[in-house]
Amino acid sequence: MTSRSFFFLCGEVPPERAHWIRDAASPLSGQATTGPDPPFTLYLTGEALVSLADSRSEEYWHSIMYETGMRVIVDSDELRLHGLLGTIKEKYPGILTPGDVNAGEELTFWHSLVAYLKGENKACDRAAFLLCEGPYMSRTSVYMLRFLKIIVELGGQPELYAYLDGVHAAHLDQHPSEFENIGEGVSVLATVTGEDEGEGWFGACSRCATARGYFVKDQDTGACRPSSCIPAVTIRPLKEILERFAGSHPILAQCSGGTFPSRPGQETFPPGLNILITYSPYVSEWTFGGLSLAVAAAMGGLKTRVLFIEQGVYALCGDHTVLPEDRVFNVQEMVEATMDIPLLHYAVYSPSLEERGLELTGTFSGMERVDAEGIGQFLFSEQGEDTLHLSRIIFF
Amino acid sequence: MSTKGIADFTDLTCTNLMIKLKILLKKQVDSEPLEFYATREQVDNTCSQFTHQQYEVNWDQSGENQYLVSMKR
Repeated sequence: MTSRSFFFLCGEVPPERAHWIRDAASPLSGQATTGPDPPFTLYLTGEALVSLADSRSEEYWHSIMYETGMRVIVDSDELRLHGLLGTIKEKYPGILTPGDVNAGEELTFWHSLVAYLKGENKACDRAAFLLCEGPYMSRTSVYMLRFLKIIVELGGQPELYAYLDGVHAAHLDQHPSEFENIGEGVSVLATVTGEDEGEGWFGACSRCATARGYFVKDQDTGACRPSSCIPAVTIRPLKEILERFAGSHPILAQCSGGTFPSRPGQETFPPGLNILITYSPYVSEWTFGGLSLAVAAAMGGLKTRVLFIEQGVYALCGDHTVLPEDRVFNVQEMVEATMDIPLLHYAVYSPSLEERGLELTGTFSGMERVDAEGIGQFLFSEQGEDTLHLSRIIFF
Repeated sequence: MSTKGIADFTDLTCTNLMIKLKILLKKQVDSEPLEFYATREQVDNTCSQFTHQQYEVNWDQSGENQYLVSMKR
């Protein structure tokens, strides 16, 4: 029995990402499989589907599907929405489209995904979604609900970890005129699964909730209390959310992945965590949020690796000068100061530097450089071996 | 910053306080203590951890759930 690796992508897949995913999967081509699943599976929905129609990425998708042997499963409901279902099926014969009513497929993309996550031993009594984007501007929260509803339908316990803008999903009194009500959806899930009785686990990060006005300091007591927040979601320190990561249940995010060990249930260590920093620093909270989560995870006992890739390499280039009035952490100082944390390891994807004509700043010149040949091993280091280690990948 | 010019870190999470302290201590001249305000939880969970990294850490209560912390190598 070999281990299985996957990516689940809802967010944009620029050509650069399709390229390195191809490179990550290449070492797996020709690998023998003993179970029903190939060594590598790619689940695509949302914005990621558009990339399949993009001629700039066509070469990589063809290579992914027909050279690496990676199985690609796409959300036919979302492809229909984009008017791309016929085009994509014609362009990539053999691509799997569960839920395609025209092809008589009854089970949806989400059923297929959950069945995969359950694996051969059918163990998936709980599953979680790390939600980092707010509702309505992004459909990621819709995908979160679809995924967790199937978990409930199949008798499992759903868990929600709201982080960064994901805490907006817990806003009280949401009333969208057209869209699916996310707050209501979360509340219904919590009721069904007994969150009120302490069985479910729907948490929002206290730092993110405080920043966005959902966790307010009481002037009399000095303690913080929830404000404008649905009762289904409990505001908790990030540390408590990360304690959930010690479990072996699947945790998805807007772009995520992982490797399942060859013998599920016999893991001897807490799951490893790979954080991919893909955005440039400062213009959004992605980089700070990813680094902060990585540091907290390592401090909490999880072996954590951070890979700066795509636009994320800008965190390591130039000399960032942050003035007090900027009111942001200097990301370079943050990385430098945390390099000595025992369970935390930093690396950079060198092709991302080369494509942009960038050099690492002197402080980081000794950082591990991962190249195109090595990214598969970095992300799925024990791929193909008789591994007992579960690892997760989360893109920030 | 407080009125005395001492940084107030009471609003930081324990993780972010730890990162902030590691950054500031790297810049600190060895002979000078780093002083700041922290909560009891921060003192217990974060500041006291630095004693394992060859820092001398002291704190005095300065208000309700507010402590003036001093750290020196």
